[in-house]
Amino acid sequence: MQMIVNALASAAVLAPAAVAFTLMFALFRYANFAAGAFVTLGAFAAWHVNVRLGLPLWAGGVAAVIVTSGAVVVSDALVFRPLRDRGGATLLLVSIALSLILENVIRFAYGSQIKGFNLPLTGPLMMADIRITREAIAVIAVSVASVVAVGLLLTFAAVGRGLRAVADNPSLAQTRGLPVERVRGFGLVLAGALFGLSGTLVGVDLAIEPSLTWAVTVPVIAAAILGGLGSPVGAAIGALAIGLAEELTVAVLSPAYKSAVGFIVIGVMLLVRPQGLLGIAVERK
Amino acid sequence: MDAYLVAILTIAGIYAIMALGLNIQFGMTGLMNFGVVGFYGLGAYASALVTESLGLPFLAGLVVAMIVGALAGIAVASLSVRLSGDFLAIVTLGFAESVRLVLNNEDWLTRGPRGFSIETRPVPDGFGRDEASLFYLLLVLTALAVSFLIVERLARTPYGRVLRAIREDDLVPAVLGKNVFLYRLQAFVIGSVMMAAAGSLYAHYVQTITPDNFVTAVAILVWMSLVIGGTGNNFGVVLGAVAVMVIFEGSRFIAPLIPWLDAEQMSALRFIAIGVALIFTLRFRPKGLLPEPQCGVPEVLGASAPQASLKLKDQKGSIS
Repeated sequence: MQMIVNALASAAVLAPAAVAFTLMFALFRYANFAAGAFVTLGAFAAWHVNVRLGLPLWAGGVAAVIVTSGAVVVSDALVFRPLRDRGGATLLLVSIALSLILENVIRFAYGSQIKGFNLPLTGPLMMADIRITREAIAVIAVSVASVVAVGLLLTFAAVGRGLRAVADNPSLAQTRGLPVERVRGFGLVLAGALFGLSGTLVGVDLAIEPSLTWAVTVPVIAAAILGGLGSPVGAAIGALAIGLAEELTVAVLSPAYKSAVGFIVIGVMLLVRPQGLLGIAVERK
Repeated sequence: MDAYLVAILTIAGIYAIMALGLNIQFGMTGLMNFGVVGFYGLGAYASALVTESLGLPFLAGLVVAMIVGALAGIAVASLSVRLSGDFLAIVTLGFAESVRLVLNNEDWLTRGPRGFSIETRPVPDGFGRDEASLFYLLLVLTALAVSFLIVERLARTPYGRVLRAIREDDLVPAVLGKNVFLYRLQAFVIGSVMMAAAGSLYAHYVQTITPDNFVTAVAILVWMSLVIGGTGNNFGVVLGAVAVMVIFEGSRFIAPLIPWLDAEQMSALRFIAIGVALIFTLRFRPKGLLPEPQCGVPEVLGASAPQASLKLKDQKGSIS
């Protein structure tokens, strides 16, 4: 039971970023490996506002959302858009280069020392033998709320329908008079905001350091693949599964191997069910 | 300065071997391996363990490193080589992360973050400092020449043609009765073995290895060599590795000119420069300095010869 609570907290950190990754994949059809770098950027933005400026953490979270949205939009305009017709391999390579750049811009500005948020110390709550920190409750609540909000947006809002239409078939959406580029722009802002949110949650749950970049990239993408690429609900469920697998590793093996789990899970997943949990069999040309 | 040049060339030679390995995997067969450092690190530590803990000579270390590289290559490839680019990329990236975690945490075996010091050096006794480093450079260059000949030979055989066909469209060779999976597996393993061999050469050269030597940034330097030199062109790839290492290592000399930056900021700047250069090359010169030669295409067909470039099949994704 304790393990499930811990797994929920781990999953909550990953879920928004995994949803963002899968959203970008659905809209642009390439795997943006800079996901971890965006999350790390968000964590540092929140840290800057929270510790350097001494504002409360929610202000840090807002700053993280704004900074990463901006970073995603700017990087798309500068780096990805000109190369969009070049195919997945080029874009993937570019996103890895971008990841290296962002990681080192952060290192340049803040150094490599491990940082943490300035949070008031509170004791854990005990509920029938289960220990749960107030921070963990907040992380889970924020994460669930954001993922549900995105789900509702995609299902009911006009812009959500637009996003789904563009993801499904951009040229058809264009023909039907949808402002495809504006919908994509909105998708980028949304994905960036989710990355920033994940960054803030990562900062609450773990230590903040530039090398977080690669440690986050693998489980986030693993969650998205596990859930079936392109499926936001799947990504959230994938995050849950990865969180559970991580906690199992901590219990059985050693906490040091927590971030290796993503690799094992996708390895097995790809062998057994390559389309992911909720994915429809991926169609390839 | 002269000693420094020898050092840069030695490291460049080691990177060039890795770049050739990646060129078989990605340049020829189209397999996106972002776990280059995983194989490199495994080779380095396998060699270190064999020579230091078991007391065997360097050659045994090199051979064991290559065997370990082959086994790891088979394991990773059979998991993932059926998959298209992005999946393979994330699995290999995860593999490299996992290797680094093992190196960092299994202190009893790898001595953890403190690093593993290596006494064994494949240098004849009685050589002075300069002679020894020159001898090591020769050794690396010999290994590079052997790798180059193997890869270049492979590229010109029918076998190499099948690999390139798989890269362009795996359906065609499959229809022609080629076992695409087996070809991909073999190409992946040949590349992994070369990366592990490079790791062994690196370990006995620097003589102290830590898990921090095997981070993803190193893999990006190898990718950079491919992209700058010309993916698919073996000569270009070697040239690319030398260029990347000369720029990367040479930029250390800029540090004294900008005294207000500390060492960490300098190193961050060098990686930023590498990333920016990679993006610019992909944007403005996607075929690199020396584009892949179009071998085997008769002149009459020249006009419509298939263009080899970084190309990956489109994937269909949708929000459900």
